[in-house]
Amino acid sequence: MRSRSIGSLLALAGLCAGAANAAALLKIDLPKDSPVVVLSSDPGDSNEIARGGAMLLDLHAMLSLRNATTRRIRGVTLVVTAQDVTPGGKGSVAIASDVGPGETFPVRVDLRLLRPLQGSANVPVSIGLDGVLFEDLSFYGPDKLSSRRTMTLAEFEARRDRKFFKSLLAEGGPERLRQEIIESMARQADRPSLDVQVMRGSRATNLEPEKQVQFAFLKLPDSPVEPMEGVARIAGNEVRAPRLEVKNRSDRAIRYLEMGWILHDRSGSEFLAGSVPAELNLPPGQKSPILESTTLKFPQHGGPALAIEGMTGFVSSVEFTDGSVWIPSRADLGSAELRRVIAPSGEEQRLVQIYRKKGIRALVAELDRF
Amino acid sequence: MKHPSEIQLALFAGGDLAGYWERWRVARHVAQCPDCQAEVNSLREASEQVRNVSAELPKDVNWNRLAAEITGNIRVGLAAGEAIARFDKPAARPLRLGWNAALVLSCATAVFLFAFWISLPQPQAEHLTAALKRIRSERIGSIVRTPAASQDDVVLEATSSSIEVKENGRTMSLTHPHSDGATVSVSLQGSAGVRYVDADSGQVTTNKVYYAEP
Repeated sequence: MRSRSIGSLLALAGLCAGAANAAALLKIDLPKDSPVVVLSSDPGDSNEIARGGAMLLDLHAMLSLRNATTRRIRGVTLVVTAQDVTPGGKGSVAIASDVGPGETFPVRVDLRLLRPLQGSANVPVSIGLDGVLFEDLSFYGPDKLSSRRTMTLAEFEARRDRKFFKSLLAEGGPERLRQEIIESMARQADRPSLDVQVMRGSRATNLEPEKQVQFAFLKLPDSPVEPMEGVARIAGNEVRAPRLEVKNRSDRAIRYLEMGWILHDRSGSEFLAGSVPAELNLPPGQKSPILESTTLKFPQHGGPALAIEGMTGFVSSVEFTDGSVWIPSRADLGSAELRRVIAPSGEEQRLVQIYRKKGIRALVAELDRF
Repeated sequence: MKHPSEIQLALFAGGDLAGYWERWRVARHVAQCPDCQAEVNSLREASEQVRNVSAELPKDVNWNRLAAEITGNIRVGLAAGEAIARFDKPAARPLRLGWNAALVLSCATAVFLFAFWISLPQPQAEHLTAALKRIRSERIGSIVRTPAASQDDVVLEATSSSIEVKENGRTMSLTHPHSDGATVSVSLQGSAGVRYVDADSGQVTTNKVYYAEP
């Protein structure tokens, strides 16, 4: 009781002072043989203040990392934990970038923690390394967050899109490239987005009657996985417990796949709702069910409630047991329904931003680097 | 057993009680209650006596004038009664010191609770509200069950400004700069993410939060 009171008094003192010692809020712990090393960490205007019955930590840290290897790095994933706050939860910050040997690169960590007044002696936030992906797709790190797969898929998407834009450049010159980039910007501006909540279990939390709705599927011609059937329970703006069945139509065993999920509402709008990932062992020609008990909710803050009417699924990525991956081709992504809702790859967004900020010549120069 | 009022008994005795249900109810009560029965008999006897007396009154009595005089007397009596009641009413006494202190303390507590509540961060406030509702439901039950999602059920949230993992009213959020190109996504296996191109470094940055049953 006494320590709690002292904690409260300290918190109130912190409130009066306006800021806590920011350097004591963050611990960076990388392995000794890590391919990246920390050059500096700037806690910026981080602070910790008491608000009501809780402490609010606002961390704005800028790390400067250096590639300590002789190979080019294509991606780095840092794991962010706050063990005293969310024992079951953690965060990650991943950077996709082309970093040469000895080059430095920044990583920004903007984090907010809400925890009880009584603090512990531990540093509230710790940052570690989950993985580093190299240009040759080799990997270093504990990979506890499956960052190898995530970064490999992102690298494959980046290579696909750079190849696509380079082909446009070769075919029609800078003007053709500019035309495609402008179309991409228009699609990004028009793409609808939703806030999403994930809830434990699949119990009803609204008053809308529940109905079972069948998935429709977008069949991508060269996909190694064929979705066979699928249903989910829909009530108002909630979707619960999706069940899918997929078939491996390739000649290799599959260990992971991800289904993209498009929602249709009563007004005819379409949204990319999320993904249904599945870790499985699916031999060639075999079928497998994918079951989830989670509920997704789509709150419309300040607008009319979303009334979900239907769903469309599509295979968005596959990882084979040999470590190779499959992603949809640019031709697959050109289908009308996917073009409307699917987000561009990170690399396409990056190239668009280069065009926005520096123009077509800078974009052409960037494509020529690869 | 509730007795009818004197007025009801008087009207019943004279056969003037209006309403079938009212008459039936009073008659049923009078049949079972010796006291009320005696009262009704007494009233009927008095009524009989009045009728006998009225038979002896002179034939040229002006009944309208007599009624007006009686009404006037009743009004005068009522007004006098009200005036006396006002005169007899004790003056309001000043509050004692103890009550003043209690009032000040109550106001101070209310101000403190209000300030505490408005300074409480949203997730904490929601958690507190959910806990109070749970206690209320456990102690006195709930007449109408509202199936709205408790914030405690929400474990991950992805919005255009941040992604959050929540646990028992505690939250960890990774925030990102507002950007038209920020792509928010959730995975049903328990992660929420946002991808954006950092305006300063030009790097593709992907923030994610993960939830796992502790």
